[in-house]
Amino acid sequence: MDASLVVALAALVLWYCVDALSASRHILNIILILPVTAVVLALCAIQLAREALRPSPPAQKVEPIGNAPTSFALFAGFVVALPWLGFDVGSCLFLMAYLWLQGERRWTWIFGYSLTFASTASLFFGAMLPYPMPMLVFPP
Amino acid sequence: MIEFDALKEGLDLLFLDPNNWLIIVPGILIGLIFGAVPGLQISMAMAVFLPVTLYMDFTKAMLFLTAIFTGGGFGGSIPAILMNIPGTSSAIATAFDGYPMSRKGRHETALGIALGASCVGVILGYGLLLLLIGIISEWVLKVGPAEMAAVILWGITMIGTLSTGNRLKGVISGLVGLLIGTVGYSEAGVARGTMGSPYLLDGVPAIPAMIGMFAASELLRLSNVQYLVEEKGMRQARPSAIARGFLEVFSHFGTIVRGSAIGVFVGSIPGIGSSIANLLSYMTTKKRSRDPSTFGKGNPAGVVASESANSTSEAGSMATLLALGIPGGGATAVMLAAFAMHNITGGPQFIREETDVVYAIIIANLTQAILLIAFGLCFIPLLANVIKVPMRYLVPSVLALAIFGSFGLTGDMSGPLTVLTFSLVGWLFKRHGFSVPATVVGILLGGAAEESLIYTYQISGGLWTYVFERPATIVILVLLVVSVFGEKLLNTIKRTH
Repeated sequence: MDASLVVALAALVLWYCVDALSASRHILNIILILPVTAVVLALCAIQLAREALRPSPPAQKVEPIGNAPTSFALFAGFVVALPWLGFDVGSCLFLMAYLWLQGERRWTWIFGYSLTFASTASLFFGAMLPYPMPMLVFPP
Repeated sequence: MIEFDALKEGLDLLFLDPNNWLIIVPGILIGLIFGAVPGLQISMAMAVFLPVTLYMDFTKAMLFLTAIFTGGGFGGSIPAILMNIPGTSSAIATAFDGYPMSRKGRHETALGIALGASCVGVILGYGLLLLLIGIISEWVLKVGPAEMAAVILWGITMIGTLSTGNRLKGVISGLVGLLIGTVGYSEAGVARGTMGSPYLLDGVPAIPAMIGMFAASELLRLSNVQYLVEEKGMRQARPSAIARGFLEVFSHFGTIVRGSAIGVFVGSIPGIGSSIANLLSYMTTKKRSRDPSTFGKGNPAGVVASESANSTSEAGSMATLLALGIPGGGATAVMLAAFAMHNITGGPQFIREETDVVYAIIIANLTQAILLIAFGLCFIPLLANVIKVPMRYLVPSVLALAIFGSFGLTGDMSGPLTVLTFSLVGWLFKRHGFSVPATVVGILLGGAAEESLIYTYQISGGLWTYVFERPATIVILVLLVVSVFGEKLLNTIKRTH
């Protein structure tokens, strides 16, 4: 997996450099990107060579992934749905779903906490920020 | 050196009008709250309250804004220690050891140390500024783009090599961050790496990226944990323990002095000062330590090094603002706006003609640091109660707050989407031994590094031999090489002899 991440990083960096070069070959455009890309690619090659040549290390204790993918999927859903659900309803639903997923079964707590937190945060940020926030219930 | 007549006038200006203190107290509290809420920025607090200063005279306006700056400077360390969310880029290194201390149940000590190092750092920093403002203003004039580019490269390389077990992966992380920091429109007027998204035309939003990489990724990992501090008996926020942590700072006095010196001088470099000062101080302290392996695992010296440097970098950036009229970052940019609102231009003339006001600002900051001790000791126990909250409540609440805050930073969905994307990147990087801090600093400073290289190219007319005419640049580049290869070279020399 380590090697895959190194390859992915090298590919990303190479794509970025090619994209920058295709946009403009003017020195002002590539003065940093070109040399840094070259160094990153060289370092990635060294890292890959090291991993390939090194005798396979003893199996390390890797932290279990646990709930992280589920939490991330929920978080991603919350962020992506914000333009439609608004910050008020979106954050309330996110909190409710997260609490339920993590084992909270007291519905008064799930509803009470989520509603209080989402409305306080929405009203506070809505009042503090100089631009309108997407909201479904509270006025933007 | 000090002009005593102007100093006396400055003291009169400050202490003969009791209204000045009525302004400073709410200023510190506003700063503390904005600094402590993840996603809110000190510069945002200052910008929000800037219109209020229109009705004040210039001295009061500056006292109010600097009070927010001082309060926020420390406030940012609270989420860094308790939740691994550096509220600002200047609190990144505070999280390195502050957060592991919290996980071990030493959050009270960490918060006390952060408060102590911040306050002592501010006092030392502004004390130094009082003595050296003339010298610093001359020094800052000599720092050109070549030196800035070299400092950025040095900083990123240091962080990359020291913040992870694998040096190579660390440097790769930093350089990848540097490239991400250049996405968007270039000086040549073309867009790079935007994938056609209008959100990326101005570049990757750096602070939301930082929140995603540091905080959201860690919070996702913590989904498997019941409480921030596992042991029930340690989930307390006792004022006495925080006060003991505060006093512990004095056993690290050498680290504070070193951090303060780094903070004042590096902090005075416009644009990058505060982001780099805390990291350089942290890395220097780690390098000089007898047991560097304890850093990143909850060594109090790491918190002292970071907090003393970031609080004094405030003094450094104020020096640049006062002496040259150049803001060092977002917060001092708001102060520059306050200068403009009162028809005042910072610079050598301002220092020469309004020396009493300059001294009043410096002394006010010294006093603010003492007030901050009292406010900090009163408010930290309240804020530290966050450790008693079960993680199933804390994680979604902080994630939601980070999303609210990131929207506040960008004004559109690019902020929340950046937090989301970089939370995944940060999680992957952490799992596979890449350096998250190096990537974040790279993202923060990528634009500045490219700009500095372009200016160097333009000034030199494309002749790279120009670097050899800049002794400071050469010294920094030599330091860079020594910090990467020095240890290996020494070991090789020892082996051969």
